[in-house]
Amino acid sequence: MKRNAVVIVAVIIAVGLMVWAGVLNYRHRQQQEAAVKQLQSMTAQPATPSDGSSDAGADGSSAGFGGFMEHPLQGKMAPNFTLKDTEGRNVSLADYKGKAVIVDFWATWCAPCKIEIPWLEQFNKQYAGQGLQILGVSEDNLNMDNKVELAKEKQDIADKAKDLKINYPVLIDDANVSTPYGGVDGLPTTFFIDRSGKVVASTVGLVSRDEIEANIKKALGSGGQS
Amino acid sequence: MKRFAWAALVLLLAASFAAAQKLPWQKSERPQDVRYLFPEQVSVPAGKDAVVELHFRINSGMHINSHTPSEKGLIPTSLILPENSGVKLDKVDFPSGSEYSLRAMPSMKLSVYTGDFVVRAHIRAISGQHLVQAALRYQACDVNACYPPRKAPVVVDVIAK
Repeated sequence: MKRNAVVIVAVIIAVGLMVWAGVLNYRHRQQQEAAVKQLQSMTAQPATPSDGSSDAGADGSSAGFGGFMEHPLQGKMAPNFTLKDTEGRNVSLADYKGKAVIVDFWATWCAPCKIEIPWLEQFNKQYAGQGLQILGVSEDNLNMDNKVELAKEKQDIADKAKDLKINYPVLIDDANVSTPYGGVDGLPTTFFIDRSGKVVASTVGLVSRDEIEANIKKALGSGGQS
Repeated sequence: MKRFAWAALVLLLAASFAAAQKLPWQKSERPQDVRYLFPEQVSVPAGKDAVVELHFRINSGMHINSHTPSEKGLIPTSLILPENSGVKLDKVDFPSGSEYSLRAMPSMKLSVYTGDFVVRAHIRAISGQHLVQAALRYQACDVNACYPPRKAPVVVDVIAK
């Protein structure tokens, strides 16, 4: 009798798991289809530039995927992380509570990142006094199985950050912190977090300097303590 | 006991089924941006130098760094041949890249491949038939974003007589 009960419970759990996975899969497919439809309708009627500026993104077509799609983290609390910077110090997102934070995922091999970074350096100087903190997170591949190789790779990231004269902390993602941020794929991917820790904007790919500045102002202006 | 085994099996199957589903927070792997086109099979003289032309196609709207990127730190396209495949790769002739600039920085001249391109592999094969599983390592970008380096499989059946 007891055995029968165990078997019945196991079968119910199994069927439940299958149904649950099926429902999630169905919902996910629906979301993807809706996103594609939304993207198609947007590309059919591209945004036209208002000021004719020549920056990337000014013509609408180069605004990047993030220019059209709302990230699932939008309006949600930014996932916390703790990583080491290029100097070996622990840096945690939670350390910057009360500040507006830009989390910029980049890599040393990413050409558009090299265009965006100098803009971030300027914004760092310009808005630090108002409570802006920028964190660069390197998504360079790391050989975690080989300590010597890993040390070399980390040093390489530090050297490249120095070459680029990055004036904000550069963190080395050796813990896949990009995963809770949606599994960052295209670089640069930038998240704008307000003073309360909520993601207020995000961009994938190189967008215009103006768009970045507008997102900074949005992050600085919301979440209180401005 | 038999019933417990069945229950365990059903649970295992259900767990595998659930794990195989794409969950909302899981991203699908990006498709390859570069595809190997042909040849699938080549005949070369055994023990002698031979040149095999490998044809590739890059997805529309994408570009990859050439073998000699103009900017320091960018990842060059390269051909990787496994050791002990019976085929030795002596040299590879890559095409020269085309000049490409991002709109936001016209002064940054990148050396890239787009569309179709051909790589000439200088090989030497020992006598016999060898299924060579090589790879083209590349790092792709579109007009706004760059994607992590990947390896496109290059499988060629090399018959050396």
